[in-house]
Amino acid sequence: MKARKLVVAFLVIAALMVNIVGCGGGKETENKASEGKGNDKVFVFARSGDASGLDPINVTDGESLYVTQQIFDTLLDYEEDSTEVKPALATEWENSKDGKEWTLKLRKDVKFHDGTPFNAEAVKFNFDRWRDEKNPYHQGDFAYYTAMFSGFPGVIKDVVVVDEYTVKFVLTKPMAPFLANLAMATFGMSSPEAIKKYGEDYFKNPVGTGPFKFVKWEKDQQVVVEKNPEYWGQKAKVDRIVFRTIPDNSARLLELKAGTIDAMIGLNPDDIQTVKDDSNLQLMLRPSMNVGYLAMNMEKKPLDNVKVRQAINYAVNKQAIIDAFYGGLAKPAKNPLPPSLWGYNDNVKGYEYDPAKAKALLAEAGFPNGFKTTLWAMPVARDYMPQPKEIGQAIQQDLAKVGIDAKIVTYDWTTYIQKGEKGEHDLYLFGWTGDNGDPDNFLFYLLDKTNTVKGSAGNVSFYRDDRVSALLTEAQQESDQAKRAKLYEQAQVLVSEHAPWVPLVHSTPPIAAKKSITGWLPHATGTECFVSLDKAE
Amino acid sequence: MSETVLNLNDTQQPRNETRESKGLWADAFNRIVRSKSSLIGLIIVAIFLLVALVAPVIAPYDPINDSDLVKRLEEPSGQHIMGRDSQGRDIFSRLIYGSRISVQIGVISVSFALILGVSLGAAAGYYGRWLDGIIMRAMDILLAFPSVLLAIAITAVLGPELRNAMIAIGVVYTPHFARIVRSTVLSVKAAEYIEAARSIGCSDLRIIMRHVLPNCIAPIIVQTTLSVGTAILDAAALSFLGLGAQPPTPEWGAMLSDGRSYIQKAPHVMIFPGMAIMFVVLGFNLLGDGLRDALDPRLKQ
Repeated sequence: MKARKLVVAFLVIAALMVNIVGCGGGKETENKASEGKGNDKVFVFARSGDASGLDPINVTDGESLYVTQQIFDTLLDYEEDSTEVKPALATEWENSKDGKEWTLKLRKDVKFHDGTPFNAEAVKFNFDRWRDEKNPYHQGDFAYYTAMFSGFPGVIKDVVVVDEYTVKFVLTKPMAPFLANLAMATFGMSSPEAIKKYGEDYFKNPVGTGPFKFVKWEKDQQVVVEKNPEYWGQKAKVDRIVFRTIPDNSARLLELKAGTIDAMIGLNPDDIQTVKDDSNLQLMLRPSMNVGYLAMNMEKKPLDNVKVRQAINYAVNKQAIIDAFYGGLAKPAKNPLPPSLWGYNDNVKGYEYDPAKAKALLAEAGFPNGFKTTLWAMPVARDYMPQPKEIGQAIQQDLAKVGIDAKIVTYDWTTYIQKGEKGEHDLYLFGWTGDNGDPDNFLFYLLDKTNTVKGSAGNVSFYRDDRVSALLTEAQQESDQAKRAKLYEQAQVLVSEHAPWVPLVHSTPPIAAKKSITGWLPHATGTECFVSLDKAE
Repeated sequence: MSETVLNLNDTQQPRNETRESKGLWADAFNRIVRSKSSLIGLIIVAIFLLVALVAPVIAPYDPINDSDLVKRLEEPSGQHIMGRDSQGRDIFSRLIYGSRISVQIGVISVSFALILGVSLGAAAGYYGRWLDGIIMRAMDILLAFPSVLLAIAITAVLGPELRNAMIAIGVVYTPHFARIVRSTVLSVKAAEYIEAARSIGCSDLRIIMRHVLPNCIAPIIVQTTLSVGTAILDAAALSFLGLGAQPPTPEWGAMLSDGRSYIQKAPHVMIFPGMAIMFVVLGFNLLGDGLRDALDPRLKQ
């Protein structure tokens, strides 16, 4: 054991050294590249964490999806200002009478960046890779697939190639959010040839049909994509996009002010005024479709006790957190769903800030003197939680006031997600940005019992309630939106009562950019394609 | 050349320990007080230790629990002479309590290095041969790494906690002590009084403890003083990187790291912890340098 630790230590040192050497080299080549093509329009976009992978089906974080969305097209896409679907790689679609079959007509003359033609075979190849665990290219956890289509192979029983440009999906049951799901950035179409060629390394050699082509990825430094001149739709207006990783919020803002980057997300709320006051910068607000929450791992004692979870809900002062760490640009949450979504239940009372009630509940649960636990805080700024460490400390203080001694724990971002999916945490700060504007995408992914599989859990509270699951499954199969809304409203009542989370906030994430950047429409899903974005000289 | 000879003469002569060391310490103290820079170092270190000792008495607020989010980032005022931090806590009180943590880090990590380094160095020097080879090569390997890098690697493996940061710093500083002790042991090992001790039947342990190690007390003290300063600095660096003390511990490096986000809006949040680290490290370095000069046997007359 000791020997192994020593080996790990040496590896870490070696990795650090390689990193240092590597980053020096990387900068040099980047400088040369920009010197060589002086007339290129380069858009430099910075965020706090690096992509975890570039195979869209195997990632769930915005850092990765922001990049893959430029490289990949989906069968359907969202309108620029809403979550209504519009044609993309599929031009027409039709549902069968029983609701179990979807027939999609595909766009003709589309090629992947490596020259492979896009057709019904390619669509089938992608879906078979995602849904069939025995498929030789099923490498990864495919978390989004299992989350949206309920496991492997899940709802999609078969994908049939009707002719070269027609594909038919056969479902086991009617699925209301099917089209909205297909438009999610994670279901981007990959080149079958590239997947065969790169195998396990496909996540760092992505090949799609999108308006930008992958150029290179220097881990923790930058990802570079360049314009695809053969794009089937409106062509990109900038020639290259550089996605830089700058972990520190204020350092990122300083770079924006200095002009070395063109735009950034993850603004410190305290700096919002600074951006407003700067005549060279503009502030954009992304429509709110997210939730920041504190998940309570119901597999750990004493969090398995509903009274303890309710007590923690009463103990947290959400408004104080919003005023201090969101610059007021957020609303306190009482449901997992954001209020902008249909199906939101405004009649749920939620838990107001009441430490006395929290103490009473703790005493009832058998913990009059509180207990010890851990509080996990994310290492990176998120749209729904710009300063997780600070918010963690504020919650720690709130909990201390009712006698709960929570120790703050943090890991690097990838490890944080992995350990959370495995359920190693007690209290876990996390959040979610909606992908498709359907309540299913929040409630089913985050709270259904089928999403508590260790290692790929989206339900990090490990909340397993049969009544809630039944309601969510029924809502998935119902096609009448009004009826679905009713089912979701009922589910929210139960979730609030069982309190697997402390729902904290719904934020309006700010984006800071140079004034010279135009044509950028922040999308509620948290990421958008930069095809129409332009940069004035 | 002449210097070496002087040195050798000095260490090879058996000493009457009680009388001479009394003189040595009194001499050393006089020299420290006479030199302006080392006197400043001594004063800084004394204030620092005193503050750490009486922290609960002089701190006006609780360093962790007196938080007020509404008044966060408040500028220095009469009530909060260093202002409030991002959680609305009194920075002055946090710095005062932070001095306790810094003392703890300095003392524990350096004692760890001291005990480990002295035993390894004494064993290597006294027994020689293959044991010397193994121990000193291992020490060379540790020395080959930049100290902070090695400490980062160790804490990365053990997990980010203050205790692990102290272990890491202890390990990193061990080779310095081992080297000093080994070289002194080597120079006195063959001396006549050691042989005499051996011939009357003293055990190895007694010889090392009573007759060999007292010879290296002066350089060890200098090294210890200097190490405490750099250990505090290294621990602050680890905490700054998130590998040492975790929030809400009022550790100076962690406070500096927290304050970094507000460098434009509320610079006082990071200026004060930064200055605290600077002064304490400066104090230990000045004192260490002064001690080195004061304990130098060449300056005896």
